[in-house]
Amino acid sequence: MTAAREPAQARAALREEVLEFLYEEAALVDAGRLEEWLGLLTDDVQYRMPLRLTRERGSPTDVTREMQYFWDDRATLELRVRRLRTDFAWAEDPPSRTRHFISNVRVAPGATPDEVYVRSYVLIYRNRGDGPQAELLSGERHDILRREAGGWKLARREFIVDQATLGTQNLSFLV
Amino acid sequence: MSGTTRAARRALDRLAGVHPERGEIPAFIFTDPDLFRLEMDAIFTRCWLFVGHETEVPAPGDYVTRRMGEHPVIMVRGEDGRVRVLLNVCRHRGMRICRADLGNASHFRCPYHGFTYKNTGELIGIPFQKEIYGDAVDRGRFGLLEARSEAYQGLVFATWDERAEPLRDYLGAMAWYLDLLAGRAEMEVVGPPWRHELATNWKLPAENFASDAYHTLHTHASTAEIGLTPTPRWAKDGYHVYAGRGHGVMVGTPAARCIFPEELLPEYARRLRPEQFALLRTLANMPGTVFPNLSFLISAVTLKGRLVSHTELYQWQPLAPDRIEVLSWLLVERSAPPAWKELSRQAYVLTFGPSGVFSQDDTENWTQITRNSRGPVAGRLGFIYEMGKDAQPTGAFAGPGEAYEGKYSEANARGFYRRWLDLLQEAVEA
Repeated sequence: MTAAREPAQARAALREEVLEFLYEEAALVDAGRLEEWLGLLTDDVQYRMPLRLTRERGSPTDVTREMQYFWDDRATLELRVRRLRTDFAWAEDPPSRTRHFISNVRVAPGATPDEVYVRSYVLIYRNRGDGPQAELLSGERHDILRREAGGWKLARREFIVDQATLGTQNLSFLV
Repeated sequence: MSGTTRAARRALDRLAGVHPERGEIPAFIFTDPDLFRLEMDAIFTRCWLFVGHETEVPAPGDYVTRRMGEHPVIMVRGEDGRVRVLLNVCRHRGMRICRADLGNASHFRCPYHGFTYKNTGELIGIPFQKEIYGDAVDRGRFGLLEARSEAYQGLVFATWDERAEPLRDYLGAMAWYLDLLAGRAEMEVVGPPWRHELATNWKLPAENFASDAYHTLHTHASTAEIGLTPTPRWAKDGYHVYAGRGHGVMVGTPAARCIFPEELLPEYARRLRPEQFALLRTLANMPGTVFPNLSFLISAVTLKGRLVSHTELYQWQPLAPDRIEVLSWLLVERSAPPAWKELSRQAYVLTFGPSGVFSQDDTENWTQITRNSRGPVAGRLGFIYEMGKDAQPTGAFAGPGEAYEGKYSEANARGFYRRWLDLLQEAVEA
């Protein structure tokens, strides 16, 4: 009885920690607190966004990883953040307003005891300038979170976008 | 154009205010709907348009779907090994017969009534043909409409104009630069092209790649601050080359070091002419546009302590006066070391993909210029295209075309709009 309940409680607690991580991360990104966001990444983080294709039913996959919209690691993500802090990052000055909505979170064991594999749905709303139009980006995240000294860190993110032709004018924001 | 429409005539009247040689280009050409209609007829059914790279369809049956102006097409390698460009429209009732981005197919079957075409375009099946049509339909007459297609250095172009000059003549002096871009080694595309829509007129990015090295100084100043490029003026030295027929290219040189993999120098030397090879060894960057809407770029950045180049194509597909679809393909030397290919891909995505630290800021400019060109007051504004108007071509450059010392000039934009204007006027007056 106790033995059965304990794993369930542990799972619920783990899930709670994962949700908190994802929500905190989204809050930092949407607030533009990107230096703090970098603090949530492992040193060996992989940050990817593969292309999505329109394929016939029965094709092996409609995701291609040969070419990607993001192909980043810690060094290039730090470059992106540093760039946004220059006086010449026109695509984000004035900044976009973004909101990352995260749902349908599923937590599974990772490859090592310190890691969890987290899948979630994400809807990103973006508005910019004086027009009311929204740019929407919908997709699924495949994340690996790793427990390090200071808590959970993002070790890998893959964002599987739901468009074969992106409807956003650029990707000057994070996914 | 037989039966000139009132809209085409109206568009032409307004073009009386466009004087490319004087450097006077009014803003309305970036949003005017009548002009857009005219462009679709006069340019996008007459010019050679880029469709794809041969390595996208290596095996018989391989296909990709694309657009030529407003027309959906299939680029497919037939059972006979030949690459064809076929209108993706069923001859029976106009349904799109191939609805995937890419794949392999021996035949295409229309979802509507099941008309079936071989991957060579030939109509081979009509359900119940004998019973319902009798002898009324001659299948030989109703193959998929095929555009004329030709390839240069692996780049497949097609045109709807049966009387168009051969592709090699259409490219003219630009072919020499396409050798450097796509023929310096055996090149292949890396994956399918990425795509996104952008609220801009197709001419703005085309003109930018053809002619505007000047914008790098300010628009892309951030890249120097973070060490990807040496200084904000890194794209100033070299030559601004008008290649004729609306084509423009800017040759950045000299480079401090070779931006290509040194292992491949023998292959480059074998495939290029000596003067092309000499230029390649000191090439720093090379943006350009093949009229009307194929742009390209060789660029290099310092990433993770390594100088690495990337080579890519961009297509600006017009969807509406103020809307385009952007496609971009990365090209890489097939024999390059795997680590080099990987770094080149990462550099491309980081700098010139939709998330790229260069392209992000370009999209900001192009979308807002388009928006600003709409009003009747702003629309009449003549923009300044006069840079380098009195400059004389230099004899010091090895490549063909009119070469001007230094990349900052607006000569290529003047040439681009001259060609554009000529085609529009010819179409209305014909």
